[in-house]
Amino acid sequence: MPPSTDLLQGTLDLLILQTLAPGPMHGWGVAQRIQQVSKDVLQIGQGSLYPALHRLEYRGWIRADWGASENNRRAKFYALTRTGRKQLETEVATWERLSAAIGLVLGGIPEAQA
Amino acid sequence: MMKEWLTRLRFLVLRLPHAELDEELRIHVEQSTEAKIAAGMTREEAHRQALIEFGGVERAREQCHEQRPGWWMGTVLQDVRYALRGFRRNPVFTFTVIATLALGIGATTAVFSVVDRILFRSLPYAHDDRLVSVGLVAPIIPQEFMLGGSYYDWRDNQKPFEAFTSETGVNACDLTERNPARLSCASVEQNFLPTLGVSPLLGRNFLPEEDRPNGPKVALISYGLWLSHYGLDPGILNRLIDIDGKQVRVIGVLPKDFEMPALESADIVVPQALDEAAERKEAPDTVMYAFARLKPGLTIAQAQAALEPVFNYSLNLAPAQFRKEVHLRVRSIRDRQMQDVYTVAWVLLGAVLAVLLIACANVASLLMARAAQRERELAVRAVLGASRARLARQRLTETFLLSLAGTAAGLVLAEILLRVFIAIAPAGIPFLEKSHLDLRIVLFTVILSILCAAVFGTFPALQCPRTATLAARATSSGAHAFARRCLVVGQIAISMILLTDAALLMRSFSSLERQPMGMETRGVLAAHIALPSYRYTTAQEQMEFFLAAEAALRRLPGVSAVGMTNWLPPSETREEQIFSIIAVSGRPRPAGGTGGMVTWRWVTPDYFNALGIPIVRGQNFTEEQRTSNENLLILSSLLASRLFGDEDPVGQHVQPVPDGPWYTVLGVAANVKNGGLTGADDPEFYRLRRNVTGDWHPWNVMVLKTSLPPAAIAPWVRSQIAQVDPTVPVEIETLTDSVSKLADRPRFETALLGFFALCGLLISVIGLYGVIAFVATQRTQEIGVRMALGATRMNILRLIVGEGVRLIVLGGVLGLGAALATAQLLKSLLFNVGPHDPATYAAVAVLLALVAMAATLIPARAAMKVEPVVALRYE
Repeated sequence: MPPSTDLLQGTLDLLILQTLAPGPMHGWGVAQRIQQVSKDVLQIGQGSLYPALHRLEYRGWIRADWGASENNRRAKFYALTRTGRKQLETEVATWERLSAAIGLVLGGIPEAQA
Repeated sequence: MMKEWLTRLRFLVLRLPHAELDEELRIHVEQSTEAKIAAGMTREEAHRQALIEFGGVERAREQCHEQRPGWWMGTVLQDVRYALRGFRRNPVFTFTVIATLALGIGATTAVFSVVDRILFRSLPYAHDDRLVSVGLVAPIIPQEFMLGGSYYDWRDNQKPFEAFTSETGVNACDLTERNPARLSCASVEQNFLPTLGVSPLLGRNFLPEEDRPNGPKVALISYGLWLSHYGLDPGILNRLIDIDGKQVRVIGVLPKDFEMPALESADIVVPQALDEAAERKEAPDTVMYAFARLKPGLTIAQAQAALEPVFNYSLNLAPAQFRKEVHLRVRSIRDRQMQDVYTVAWVLLGAVLAVLLIACANVASLLMARAAQRERELAVRAVLGASRARLARQRLTETFLLSLAGTAAGLVLAEILLRVFIAIAPAGIPFLEKSHLDLRIVLFTVILSILCAAVFGTFPALQCPRTATLAARATSSGAHAFARRCLVVGQIAISMILLTDAALLMRSFSSLERQPMGMETRGVLAAHIALPSYRYTTAQEQMEFFLAAEAALRRLPGVSAVGMTNWLPPSETREEQIFSIIAVSGRPRPAGGTGGMVTWRWVTPDYFNALGIPIVRGQNFTEEQRTSNENLLILSSLLASRLFGDEDPVGQHVQPVPDGPWYTVLGVAANVKNGGLTGADDPEFYRLRRNVTGDWHPWNVMVLKTSLPPAAIAPWVRSQIAQVDPTVPVEIETLTDSVSKLADRPRFETALLGFFALCGLLISVIGLYGVIAFVATQRTQEIGVRMALGATRMNILRLIVGEGVRLIVLGGVLGLGAALATAQLLKSLLFNVGPHDPATYAAVAVLLALVAMAATLIPARAAMKVEPVVALRYE
């Protein structure tokens, strides 16, 4: 198993929003999807997923509804709300700016030394 | 954004259902388990792995709950509920804390409300910080004053003021309309109101031509008079009203909060209409009171320095013997108003803050004791997962609740105390009856209590519970105990200061009450009569009225003497002159200085009989001499010895005023207290009031010696005088009452300070008792061991009492030192008692020691009675 990376503060919210962007999903699914997509690099403590989901729901960025899962089980499905979608856009933009800046800094150091 | 906030608000009220969360988590674990079974694990192993992967289910659930906006408010409520439960379990603790706080805060607030008006109120004038009272101080008039001539010189030549104005005092006047009333009329210069920055509520200020002799008669009336006499009728403007029988035009109404700078009450303000040219020329004889507005940026000291040239100029015009004793004085109007009340106000404020300090120390001490008792409980909570912040918050919540309850109770107490103060306070403390708890003062109180809570609640709250206490067999709280001992020592020291101050005032008051008056005050009734000047215009009419009244009163049964005088001792209102102008025939006038003041009064022969003043040499005046033309004097012993030494003054000739008549000394009367209760006695002489018009004035005091109860005879006196003229107002008062009224102020001060000292003592003693009782309980086990090893009950008693004695002695000695150092501040309030009176200090020390010992003996006796077996099992 590759070493897990500690999640940056607040990144979990972004990941959840991004995961929910294609369509509604239940908690277990969100955990699985983040793990698959990040190729097991980002390991989310499953326990800390639910407080985050609740936080987002309280903020009105996601909405929860009970529905039937793939194997016809009752499950709670989370979906992005309209404010949630807007929030996702701003957070993605912020993230890209930030990572671009960090990339510049990291790429720039060797040049400066050379 | 809006929607987001709405969602948040919705969740403030609603919460996501608990059951749903539980189910959601269960489903998650189930799905995880099934996925692992599908991957080939057994069911048990899969379930186990799923739970491990998930982490703490309970923790996740807690964290989910904490996501709710406003979640912390719920925990505050929880803290509050927990605190309230704790208080209910410890009613004595709760009651003591709240009562102590209430007493401290209540007393402080009430006294602050009173002194606030005296020390900090804003005056009803524009830019009152730049207004000053200016004048000369001389032995004749204690307040700064000016004389007509020099006032105009100063006004024209002064530099430091942008405006300079004067008033010539407030006199009684009569409104002689269909609804007659006795009023007070103030005479002021034309620019008086503009200088103070007061503009009339209605109408206009005086015009320059109205402030001249024989100018148009105009007046401004007070809001109070406008309300009571004219029902706030705006038609009052330009109406003619009758004052002292003359028609005066009302040109305006003064603002509601208007007051004269020296705080005299004034119903009507009229132009003083002085003849400036005449005042400048003639010997100055109009006494004026000058007020001025400083130029911006100037201080009072700078103004005083800038006035020196004009002052020196006036001084050179003054009679030679005055020059050394006359000084220039410039002071703020506030100082002029409050003069002697300042010291009292500061002393009271100091005393009450001391009580508050003691109260706060007590609360802190109690909280610490409670913290020590709960050390184990807190340790248990910490082990069960309560964070340090949470524990500290819990304790701060408790402290805050206590101080809130204490403040509420304190405010109620303050309102009650304030009403009591106002009810028992004597007249003459400015604004007392107007003081009330206003918003500022309530705010002050709340801040005080929050400070109290913050300072004394934080210290115990910040201490982290040591988990070690769980293991230890007995709790140890050495730091607590030390801090509490320090607090108790401090409390005792402050109480000592308060008690000595109160005791000094009490001793001073009792010597004030017991001092010899030089006359018999019991069974003496005084009828004060001031004849309305518009009805009794000539001295002849005035004399006839008083002679008729005297004859009428003499007919009353049970009245053995009816004397008459213009002023009655011991009040300091009296006629005065300087000593050095008195001439004795056949001797040169004494040179240098004024020799101080000499009091004199008009009397009839019965005056000495009515007041029981013995004639120690020579004779009293006789009734026959009243109809003669002889000029006769009786001297007081003090004046006789100053004028004649050991010589016999009887038969000597004396001229009290240069160019006045010569008098023959008929006798010497014993000294009478004549300068108020606390003032020094002045030498005095008595002039016989003969049946000659020059000897009479419109005001007179009829002094009756009676063997009947004063309440019974007063109506008779009234009806006798009414038979002479029913329209003349009469004020009747027993001499005992008027003497006691003079003592009202010191009595009030003594009572208040005594009350605070007792409050302080009570609270400190509770604190001392608490500490000793706590120490005794903590040492129960040790006591058991000692007794098992053979210590007697006396040894145990000594052990515990010793603890108390150390605290008492230390606190007492510290307090004694501080009291000796601060008593000097009280000096001006003390009468016949030094600020370092040894008897007072000794008595207070003994009192404090006795009370404090009693407070230690109670818990010590309880400790002595501990059964060793019980104590050893105690845990």
